[in-house]
Amino acid sequence: MSATTSRFTASGILLIWGVTLVYFQLSGRVASYLHPDFHIPTFIAGIVLLAFSVALIFTIRFVDPSGREDCGARHPFGGGILAVAVLLVPLLLAVRMSQGQFSASTVMNRGLVTDSSELPTFSSPVDPALPGESETPVDGSMMDPSLYLKKNADGQIVAETVDLLYAAAEEGMRADFENKDVEVSGQFLSARTGNPAGDRFQLMRLFVMCCAADARPVAITVHSKSLADFPEMTWVKVIGTATFPVEGGRHIVVIEAQSVSEIEPPVESFTY
Amino acid sequence: MSGLIDQFLPARVMTRFLPRSPFAGVCVSALMGLVFPMCECGIVPVIRRLIAKGLPVSNAVAYMLAAPIVNPITALSTYAAFRGQGAAEFTTLRLGLGFFIAALVGMAVYNLSIGSVLKKEILESVALGSADSGGGGGAPITRRLVAAMDAGVRDFLDVMLYFIVGAAAASVFGTAINQSLFLPLAMHDWLAVPSMMGLAGILALCSSSDAFVAATFVSFPAVAKLAFLVFGPMMDLKLVFIYAAVFRRRFVFGLAVGLFVLIGLICLRLSVIGL
Repeated sequence: MSATTSRFTASGILLIWGVTLVYFQLSGRVASYLHPDFHIPTFIAGIVLLAFSVALIFTIRFVDPSGREDCGARHPFGGGILAVAVLLVPLLLAVRMSQGQFSASTVMNRGLVTDSSELPTFSSPVDPALPGESETPVDGSMMDPSLYLKKNADGQIVAETVDLLYAAAEEGMRADFENKDVEVSGQFLSARTGNPAGDRFQLMRLFVMCCAADARPVAITVHSKSLADFPEMTWVKVIGTATFPVEGGRHIVVIEAQSVSEIEPPVESFTY
Repeated sequence: MSGLIDQFLPARVMTRFLPRSPFAGVCVSALMGLVFPMCECGIVPVIRRLIAKGLPVSNAVAYMLAAPIVNPITALSTYAAFRGQGAAEFTTLRLGLGFFIAALVGMAVYNLSIGSVLKKEILESVALGSADSGGGGGAPITRRLVAAMDAGVRDFLDVMLYFIVGAAAASVFGTAINQSLFLPLAMHDWLAVPSMMGLAGILALCSSSDAFVAATFVSFPAVAKLAFLVFGPMMDLKLVFIYAAVFRRRFVFGLAVGLFVLIGLICLRLSVIGL
């Protein structure tokens, strides 16, 4: 590959990568892959790649057009057609075909997190969580819950699956939610265990520390008298009463659903 | 950074600042991440240029293996992730074992011939770098900046090539394999450690966030989590491909097996003494 061809090829690859990163940021698709802390750095990376792409073209006068790869060994790209294909085809296929979310089978392969002790940010509660032991409210539970709980226009607490999972493990938080009406959004999954009557399903949100690679599916159980039947991974909003029955020796979250309705996927599909 | 190293770092200047003793040099290199923290993906193009500039391969390997673990960012994230689970002790153990393994492997590489470690193209660049006494020499600054950009872009694209292949393999394993298959192994003393290292190799997580994932494996013993956190940043599916951009395939294979056995044995020994 001549020095000039190498330069144009490198510039083209950087251009496509830069445009992709900038497009992902501007279109909001980046939210399906990365924690918000990394959105701006991703955008900056895209701009830097575009700047390098342009700079490679504007500095072409420094290149000796007769220079061959084996002479200089410092040309900006030393690969052939296969290398170009590896650098571009997966990216373009991902941009074109990726649904921006995990499938149900991927989520099940990751394993549903139904106990807050399996969450990355878990720290043991101050008060004992197991039923039957003396339970002392922690300081935080003495605060007025209205100061930190958000409510919708109908007065229902707007909660995340992860909030309720923590509440199941900590008496102070549990008191904030127990037997109160809540609104929770997430993705529908059939209940594969703990569903003898067939009237339960799982409501799942992906909990992310850094990016989709470390996503953990956080799931709570929803009990619905009229069986909700949605395709797997459909985004739904559940309005119901939060309960924390003891099953398997620990408190679990069960929402007694009053309504289950399909919703549009939120801009932020992850919780953090 | 690799482009700037290529053009503005005079050849062999680093060797003047490193201790003359090979052992001390390797140890200092394994601690360089404290000052120049790098992740496991970004460090490969940097060490490639450092090797071309005369940094001994043993030192480069020690820096490459240790820097993703022995750095302030990883230390803080490990401490945060293991709060309530002996965070200080666990962080110290992770950094200590990471340093020890990197220094040990660095000394092993010191005893190998450079030709058995580096790819042919990298070997040639070492020869070129040795001949080049002053980075870009006496060329005008504009020309040197352009050359630095060219070198940086080349390194970026070279490593990206391997990174994409590695990331594709890691993502297939990370999504298609049922991770609950690993959980029964947690109950078995001898299998918990290698199975967690296998999981680290498959998940290919970044060293700055892997501790948050490891901390959730509550059913696994602490030594298995330690093995996960030391082995993962040194060797995983994507790194196999990225390392292949610099090192011979046989060396990468040997490194993978050696790290697996070494970290596994040390962690099993730690479990025997009651960690």
